Amino acid sequence: MPAVQETIDTVALLDVDKYKYGFSTDIENDMAPKGLSEEVIRFISAKKEEPEWMLQWRLDAYERWKTMEEPNWARVNYPKIDFNDIYYYAAPKNFEDGPKSLDEVDPELLKTYEKLGIPLKEQELLAGVRRHDELSKLDEDPSDNVYASGRVAVDAVFDSVSVVTTFKAELAKSGVIFCSISDAIKEHPELVKKYLATVVPVSDNYYSALNCAVFTDGSFVYIPEGVRCPMELSTYFRINAENTGQFERTLIIAEKGSYVSYLEGCTAPQRDENQLHAAVVELITMEDAEIKYSTVQNWYPGDEDGNGGIYNFVTKRGDCRGDNSKISWTQVETGSAITWKYPSCILRGNGSQGEFYSIAVSNGAQQVDSGTKMLHLGKDTKSRIISKGISAGKSQNTYRGQVSAHKRASDARNFTQCDSLLIGDKCGAHTVPYIEAKNSTAQFEHEATTSKISDDQLFYCMQRGIPEEEAIALIVNGFVKEVIQELPMEFAVEAQKLISISLEGSVG
Amino acid sequence: MKVQNIQNNAAEDALGVSLPTRRVESFHYTDLRSQLGTFASKAERPSEEVAKKLGDGFPRLASNAAVLHFYDGHAFERGEKLPAGVSANTDLPKAMEVDGLDDTIVAINNKISTDGVAISVAKDANVDRPVGLAHTFTGTSGTTASTRYAIDAASSSTSIFIERFMGRSTDAHLSSSVVAMDIGEGAVLNYLIVQQSGLGAEHLGRISVRLAENAKLNLFILNAGGKLVRQEVKVDVAGEGAHVEIKGVNLVGDNAHIDVTTVLDHNVPNTTANELFRNVVAGDGHGVFQGQIKVAQIAQKTDAQMACNTLLLTDDGDFSAKPELEIFADDVLCAHGATVTDIDDDHLFYMRARGIKEKTARGLLIKAFVDEVVEELGVGEEIEEAFIGVIDNWLDTNVS
Repeated sequence: MPAVQETIDTVALLDVDKYKYGFSTDIENDMAPKGLSEEVIRFISAKKEEPEWMLQWRLDAYERWKTMEEPNWARVNYPKIDFNDIYYYAAPKNFEDGPKSLDEVDPELLKTYEKLGIPLKEQELLAGVRRHDELSKLDEDPSDNVYASGRVAVDAVFDSVSVVTTFKAELAKSGVIFCSISDAIKEHPELVKKYLATVVPVSDNYYSALNCAVFTDGSFVYIPEGVRCPMELSTYFRINAENTGQFERTLIIAEKGSYVSYLEGCTAPQRDENQLHAAVVELITMEDAEIKYSTVQNWYPGDEDGNGGIYNFVTKRGDCRGDNSKISWTQVETGSAITWKYPSCILRGNGSQGEFYSIAVSNGAQQVDSGTKMLHLGKDTKSRIISKGISAGKSQNTYRGQVSAHKRASDARNFTQCDSLLIGDKCGAHTVPYIEAKNSTAQFEHEATTSKISDDQLFYCMQRGIPEEEAIALIVNGFVKEVIQELPMEFAVEAQKLISISLEGSVG
Repeated sequence: MKVQNIQNNAAEDALGVSLPTRRVESFHYTDLRSQLGTFASKAERPSEEVAKKLGDGFPRLASNAAVLHFYDGHAFERGEKLPAGVSANTDLPKAMEVDGLDDTIVAINNKISTDGVAISVAKDANVDRPVGLAHTFTGTSGTTASTRYAIDAASSSTSIFIERFMGRSTDAHLSSSVVAMDIGEGAVLNYLIVQQSGLGAEHLGRISVRLAENAKLNLFILNAGGKLVRQEVKVDVAGEGAHVEIKGVNLVGDNAHIDVTTVLDHNVPNTTANELFRNVVAGDGHGVFQGQIKVAQIAQKTDAQMACNTLLLTDDGDFSAKPELEIFADDVLCAHGATVTDIDDDHLFYMRARGIKEKTARGLLIKAFVDEVVEELGVGEEIEEAFIGVIDNWLDTNVS
């Protein structure tokens, strides 16, 4: 069928070699010695000017990590990681004291952000950088309605440090704390102590323990009671330095009745060797609170033969602690050589809700093993899982998800739908759901399908005068639409672009 | 993979076979290492009188069937005449190969099997009478009774087999059955398993099937007994145009753990499969369904569907399902659906509104839910009625 052939050709053309974020920025780095040891952890902690309790916590995590074993149950293959061949800390040198003015910013770094096309390049936001501790012009302009402007506050993390956090002052006016986790440890230790590692325990898994020992930066968000965060919060992660691992830690707490929408984006340069990214993200919602967490993950996927690329071993978990709270994960995964990621929801509060919307696109030699866990503990809890996997090239794409209802989780309700689309006959699509019901009033539904674009669908469109190429576009767009529409506007556009880079090309 | 525990385990020592923990993915929901009892001795061949009595209360499922009898794992000659086209050799067929802990049941069976039979169905034979393979157990505490057979259905033949396990013992005893089936070109094989072991029975079953071109397997599994049951089905769909139909009813009673694990390997283009399981969990029973559909890269145009529906009647029981798809070909249609729920309130209301007592209404709805599978088997009214009888009996005792 020519149309399919065309799609395959287009995919081949737009292969991972065309990774457009593959540049690296030549800036001087301040690095920890290579390898993992107590000294390195002490070094990181000292660099971050952390209090003693934090250092002890890290060392304790390191001790536990040493006793743990690398998990091997996921459908991914990769050579054994030498954890002593990684730099655990790399900071752009010129930034060590924090940028006080735009002139101080390494122009190379500015260029990086420009290439990334993140909102940072906007002059207004950069002005925010310059007046780090002052009120920004926007704050002084009363005509500016923050609720309607649709602006985004950004925390940019470059290798191991948070480079800049914008709109801090403005957010502070509503009582929202949005800063790097390093700053939070220093400035809000009581909050960090109270919540850190309460959702993902230190020894939850191999990579979470590693993260606890060596995490370098990430975002901290605290939304006080009754506050609807006035703007979208966003973090941009970039791994730049060679042989460096990025271990970020994100902690978001939404107090009673609050709401926040958080976006996360990631890119990395094109390198021959593999880089490790092992993040831990913890979300906590109290009564009636809601967190919407969206990710557009576009780490460098490696070349088509599987050389290089990021190993993305991430633990993301949300805890609906309060009644009627809600956590919603939306992810668009197009990058990384290997993805090992299961954003989960612990539905503890009665009436709490968990959602997981995912698009995982794999191409080249990428391996994706991703999915979610919905653990129903409270009464009347609901969860919804929509997962769309598209595999092309020689990639392997696995959905692995668990839905369970605890004995006391009466009237738990789950709906799961995982659809896979295969493009080309060298890739694989796999579905591994675990459905566990321990309560008779639980109502679980699971559906999964795997297919290629059907001839019937194509025929239907073409019969109505839509050219083959556009018909494929239409069908692929339709295939992922349920997830795309869950993304905030700012990301929906980017996500659509990313998918077209990874796959469609001709169809855009 | 590091899965082996170094620690000694009584069950393992008694059998002399390594047992998997839950860390072995295919045994994720059935932890043989901790759940399997300690079985140190093979059950002895019972006397004729004892054997005769054992079968009391288990009426025949098909009046015209030719039944091969096994008592406590030992073959008994009862002078039943096999239908034309079917021949049987009562030597124990050669042991099946074991490939790691996934084949634990085969390994155990190889170790403890006492008797078996190799059955051949002649080319073009159209066997109209069912062949029964009846296993009855005394169920003496700590003993094992195990058999192994090979079934070779030559090309273009049609045959029907009923494998049945019966017992009343509430003492812990182990039974095991491993079957290797080869279904030739264009042959149709109906294989019906009825498991009515005693409440102390631990039963490990495995069927390994290979299908040639245009061959067809109709498999039905009815679990209505036992304490710890694991029935594995492995199908190698190796001939183009082959079709696999698997249907099952798992009735999981109080204290029971019933696991049905199926793996369909589609290794050639243009094959189809359809799986449907209906499960009822009562008391504090644990039900497990693991269904894997694998499609190799060359197996284009595979059409495989799987559904698993469960009625979980109590909060003490649980049900775990893992319907798995592993697909390496792009031009395929594969889907699975799984549901777990209690009886629909609307259905109940509909019946109550018509003056039917709640208890009766619930009973009728459960019965309808599982009977549907049996009614669609297409293996003749007598056998279907007999199966429904087995189901009714179970429902009467287990669902109040």
